[in-house]
Amino acid sequence: MASADTLGLLLQGVANVTPQSVVMIGVAGVLLYLGIVRRYEPLLLLPIGAGCLLANLPLSPLVAEDGMLRVLYDMGIRNELFPLLIFIGIGALTDFGPLLENPRLVLLGAAGQFGIFLTLLLALALGFTRPEAASIGIIGAIDGPTSIYVSGLLAPHLLGPITVAAYSYMSLVPILLPPIMRLLTTQKERRIRMPYSQRTISRRTRILFPIVVTLLVGTLVPFATPLIGMLMLGNLMKESGVVERLTQASAQEIANTVTLFLGLAIGSTMVGAEFLKPSTLAILVLGIVAFTVDGIAGVLFAKLLNVASGGKVNPLVGAAGISAFPMAARVVQKVAQEEDFENFLLMHAMGANAAGQVASVVAGGVLLALMGAGGA
Amino acid sequence: MMRRYTVGVRGREFVIDVQEQAADRFEVVVEGETFDVTLSGDEDLPDASITPGYQPARATGAPVRPAPPAAPLPPRAIAAGTSTVSAPMPGVILEVHVKAGDHVDRGQQIAVLEAMKMHNLIGAPRAGTIAEVCVAPGQAVGHGDALVRYAES
Repeated sequence: MASADTLGLLLQGVANVTPQSVVMIGVAGVLLYLGIVRRYEPLLLLPIGAGCLLANLPLSPLVAEDGMLRVLYDMGIRNELFPLLIFIGIGALTDFGPLLENPRLVLLGAAGQFGIFLTLLLALALGFTRPEAASIGIIGAIDGPTSIYVSGLLAPHLLGPITVAAYSYMSLVPILLPPIMRLLTTQKERRIRMPYSQRTISRRTRILFPIVVTLLVGTLVPFATPLIGMLMLGNLMKESGVVERLTQASAQEIANTVTLFLGLAIGSTMVGAEFLKPSTLAILVLGIVAFTVDGIAGVLFAKLLNVASGGKVNPLVGAAGISAFPMAARVVQKVAQEEDFENFLLMHAMGANAAGQVASVVAGGVLLALMGAGGA
Repeated sequence: MMRRYTVGVRGREFVIDVQEQAADRFEVVVEGETFDVTLSGDEDLPDASITPGYQPARATGAPVRPAPPAAPLPPRAIAAGTSTVSAPMPGVILEVHVKAGDHVDRGQQIAVLEAMKMHNLIGAPRAGTIAEVCVAPGQAVGHGDALVRYAES
């Protein structure tokens, strides 16, 4: 005969459903929807959504001691391994050629990080602690792995919302950026043509670039060493051309595997009690602010460069100075071509975009240095 | 030896002077403009559209050499003194949407150039007739390489 005890044991799951976990499963549903139906960064949002769903099931063994999601989190998020592995892959895919052809674009990459610091101040004003504010500000780097890296060190409890914000906004680049660009520029400015400057970059320069950048950034901003070191390692492997198999593995197999692990582990941090707080909403809003300010600062700075150069810089290129490589550069090209189909800013935008990628990493290192935390 | 070809293309007549410099090099003069033409391939096509029936003396059995330059010539001939649409940046041509003889309007899509993994639409800079398409899908182009040439303006 089934006693009440037996019944209790069999229905443990049902008995442990909490309102919070139901809401979080709803959140997981939204993430899955965004990834699968709306195609917003499906490679990340699908695993994150799945991780979130699995972690919020009642008594989920996956997040218990030695549960798979817990193991993944300890293995790669808590010690920053996963974002760094992803960075090798990004480096192996990034072509710094357009930046080397037009080095002054590096200034635009720097301007595109402005949102980080403004958002940080805003977050402080809203009552977040300093490490939390820095982690929220880093959403303004518009770079997923950098955001994960910095917030993982400074405020691991905010990792879920920060990652979701960073990746969601990255996928919104094509929607959010163009209105900012159009609002801040005149039609005449958008029509400024920037002819492609053909400069052949020697193989030696391409190989030396990652090494020199690593030495320089690593010395100036030691906290950025892990990120810049891995980014440039990937790039060195790509440009050297002698380790084709390693380059391939970093850009494809390793990056894909780690993306799956990373997504699941991040999703598993989004459990009811941690996620369902007003601070999550604030983070999502501040993320948009960071993003918008980045775009505005980039375009305005490019306008300044345009004046300084006597009308030779199309301010639209400034919008590519945010990270989000290479989406931002493509958006710039699209907006420019809407005005003048014969205007091709892509290469310049790509240069600014690659600069933004490096600048994001440096900004992340600077933040960590300011907070006195880091891998050292 | 200099040979003079008189060809009609779309109702217009062109006089083309071909001067043989070497077995594979010819100097071709079309409407006062001189081109250096290099012959890289030489074959008889059974369904070639050019029937040199107007030159009975050399119609068949004649040395093939002077004839081949005539085949690639008409497009170039029309290109004389006209403008070119060139690649705005290095990349790979994915699609070509026009063919020789097509009329295009300003802004009409001519080709798709993939650069930095982005598909870039190349539009016609002005209305006119396309004389020659210089690229094929899958072809890598450098900055400034000709994509298509217009016929006379």
